[in-house]
Amino acid sequence: MLAITRSGLAGTVFFLIALLALPALADGQWIKIFISTGCFVIAASGVAFMYSRLGMVSLGQVALMGVGGWVTLRMNHAFNLPFEINVAVAGAVTLVFGWLLALPALRMRGLYLALITLMAAGGLEVIFSTFRFPNGGPGFWGVMPSVAAPFRRPWIAQSDTAYLRYIMAAAFFGFVLIELHRRMAPGRAWAMIRRSEAAALASGVNVVYYKAWAFGLSGFLAGVAGGLLAGGLGLLDAATFRASESIMLFALSVVGGARFWLGAVIAGVLYRVMPALFSNWGINSDLTLVIFGAALLHAIMTAPDGLSGQILQAFGKVTRRA
Amino acid sequence: MIELVDLTVTFGGVTALDNVSAVFTKPVNGIIGPNGAGKTTTMNVISGFLKCSGHIRYNDEEIGRLPAYKRTRWGLRRSFQREQIADDLSILDNLKVILDVTPGGRAQKAADAEQALEATGLAPRAHTMAGELNTFERRLVDVARCLVGKPKIVMFDEPGGGLSREEAARLGDLILKVPEITGATTLVIDHDVDLISRICAETLVLDFGKRIAFGETAAVLGDPKVKAAYLGVEEVDS
Amino acid sequence: MRPVLPYLGYALIVVAAYIFLAAGKPTLVSGLFVVSGLAVGSLYALGGIGLVVLYRATGVLNLASGAVGAVGVMLAWELQQRGWPQAISWAAALATAMALSLLYGRLIAPGLAWRDPIVKAVATLGFALIILGVTTFLWRTDVVRKFTLPTDNQAMMLLGLRVTLTRFIVVFATVSIVAGIWFYLARTRTGLQMRSLANDRDLSALIGVRILRVESIAWAIAGAIAGFTGLMFGDLLRLEPFVITFMVIPCVAAAICGRLENLGLVLVGGLTMGVVESLLTFSPTLKNIRPIAPFFIAAAVLIVMQRGHQLVFARDE
Repeated sequence: MLAITRSGLAGTVFFLIALLALPALADGQWIKIFISTGCFVIAASGVAFMYSRLGMVSLGQVALMGVGGWVTLRMNHAFNLPFEINVAVAGAVTLVFGWLLALPALRMRGLYLALITLMAAGGLEVIFSTFRFPNGGPGFWGVMPSVAAPFRRPWIAQSDTAYLRYIMAAAFFGFVLIELHRRMAPGRAWAMIRRSEAAALASGVNVVYYKAWAFGLSGFLAGVAGGLLAGGLGLLDAATFRASESIMLFALSVVGGARFWLGAVIAGVLYRVMPALFSNWGINSDLTLVIFGAALLHAIMTAPDGLSGQILQAFGKVTRRA
Repeated sequence: MIELVDLTVTFGGVTALDNVSAVFTKPVNGIIGPNGAGKTTTMNVISGFLKCSGHIRYNDEEIGRLPAYKRTRWGLRRSFQREQIADDLSILDNLKVILDVTPGGRAQKAADAEQALEATGLAPRAHTMAGELNTFERRLVDVARCLVGKPKIVMFDEPGGGLSREEAARLGDLILKVPEITGATTLVIDHDVDLISRICAETLVLDFGKRIAFGETAAVLGDPKVKAAYLGVEEVDS
Repeated sequence: MRPVLPYLGYALIVVAAYIFLAAGKPTLVSGLFVVSGLAVGSLYALGGIGLVVLYRATGVLNLASGAVGAVGVMLAWELQQRGWPQAISWAAALATAMALSLLYGRLIAPGLAWRDPIVKAVATLGFALIILGVTTFLWRTDVVRKFTLPTDNQAMMLLGLRVTLTRFIVVFATVSIVAGIWFYLARTRTGLQMRSLANDRDLSALIGVRILRVESIAWAIAGAIAGFTGLMFGDLLRLEPFVITFMVIPCVAAAICGRLENLGLVLVGGLTMGVVESLLTFSPTLKNIRPIAPFFIAAAVLIVMQRGHQLVFARDE
């Protein structure tokens, strides 16, 4: 069960290289961008495994990140607990919140889950833009008009460089968590559900239970990602969590390739790094929408395993020839 | 012993099963009938996929009120017309899905899976991804899944579909071994009359949702009512 | 009795909302909010109906309908700014929406015809992103624009209330279009074929229904509805591409109220959502987040729908 696959080995090597090299190579602005990218990679991994392993579509993952970020900020300003506890609570709250949203749709056709998460993304957009994010102010919503109160980062990762490494480690553990699920009973149940509901029931799988588990795991990852994002920026902004953002993250997860960890990494990079590059090069960021939309259509119609699938295929051909 | 008591299933205006009753006592039993007779519907009812009125009992234990996934945990196994195995999982993992929900220790389950793989001849390929198998091998995985976890009822829905003559024959031999390997009562639906006569001791015949014959297979196949149903000739009043 | 139950449920929701929120307010004031809610609600309903008709005929839940409407109304605004006559700008909006809709329906949708409804819906999201990107590229989002119709400044008296003519037209148009669609589906030949397609696509092909033709009609109708709702959202709410594009969300909520099949319930559900959302203005705590009211109503509908639901035989694979 704990054997490392070739893919896992490649992932570990990639992680170690990135851990060492990336913070050294990047400068101030780019470190912040990579921190943000790392958080969205974690969120994308949640969306991706649900889609590729179970065919479940979540169009509200970034909105759930907002929930996690909100809880982390609120905890940070309300109590004096360590960063890890705040993020853990954020993950748990988002998990439960996600369940409450998704439960009505889990017994129905998969389309309804997509629709309900879309509606949740729209609803949360309204809530975030109305109530904003806590920054040390009073009351439940905790918002004060002027400068924000300080945010406490993890004890071992105070500087931006250290925090970037912290995020990468978190992403690595996120992938490991998903992989552990996949190799044990939940993963087997999920594969059966993917085949058909009849197959799953005939295998003794409690379909609603395992779908809920998957959605819970995905929500947990979103919550943690949101908390980590809050740590990266110190404060959060409603515009980051609009409904369109959730849709784009899903789209990019498909484009990157939902089956592989590399796909989630590509998704995060496309989502955060590409717009930054575009603005550096003076290209209108609205064009990123067009490119992502076209890429999604292309991925759905012709390349179901996304960019990572194509990369791995090419790699396979090369290694086979060698 | 499987007891079906007055099973009735309606879809809107159509009565798919009309007060079907039968008691299956032999190790391997057949269910046959023309297309649309209600054979798969009967299995779907036993599986728990459809609401029905009536009772389903195994050795006097009522299972008709259990939800579908709990019936599997109880000891029901099913092989569908189109085999339903997960392409993303290895053969062994396909078996493990069922072992995950049945009682027993790790060693016991490993031995159980080993035995099923040996019986179906799949042991050397236990870690192959199911997506890479051909039709016959996929059907064998289906059968192997029916052997694990101490089943009480095993159902095969047209297992021979898409197989060559010798593959179907091999499958028939395998199905005959199911009761001796597991102790389960087996039900088989198929259109291949030779297969049914060879492996099923008793057979139920359905037509338009009604039971038209039940009993020892050779006698049932010779029954003029059954012939009339299949060939569409006017029923002989005997 | 049972078919009437959901309608009673929606009526109950509206009445309860009115009692809790608007009790004690002068009827002239609360009446205005009800009317405003009916206008927006009828747009939700209309959008929902466009979604449902297309979904039933083609299996595609077109999440790009908002985006298509958005580009239409932006084009209409642009033409108006340049002094073109009202009728032309309207026609341009509707034509653009129908053209984009047909483009997708004839070029992209057939390639996905055999796939899962989720995949088909996700593909329309890709299309929506493309259109939204082009729209925001052509019309920058940081500028405040207003789309107005001459009827905005005219009013009529209805039951003692002063109703803006635009709002009246919207409700009237919605009811007429719904009636027209109902009539089309129930009484015309192509309508019958569309219903047949919705029921069983493969069988319909076998009995000789010309699928491509019927589907094209469905896409055209959906495009026209999307164009119209886009124009009206632009007038009644805000002329901003993102806002109008994501009006597809409350329209989806309305479609869910009809269980993605029952047009009457979509209509009533949409109207209910609009009215409840409008009446929430009277609640000091909830007024700022009232746009989430449609979501709650749809979630409640889903909870009721899924009780005892067993999903075994969704069209296999």
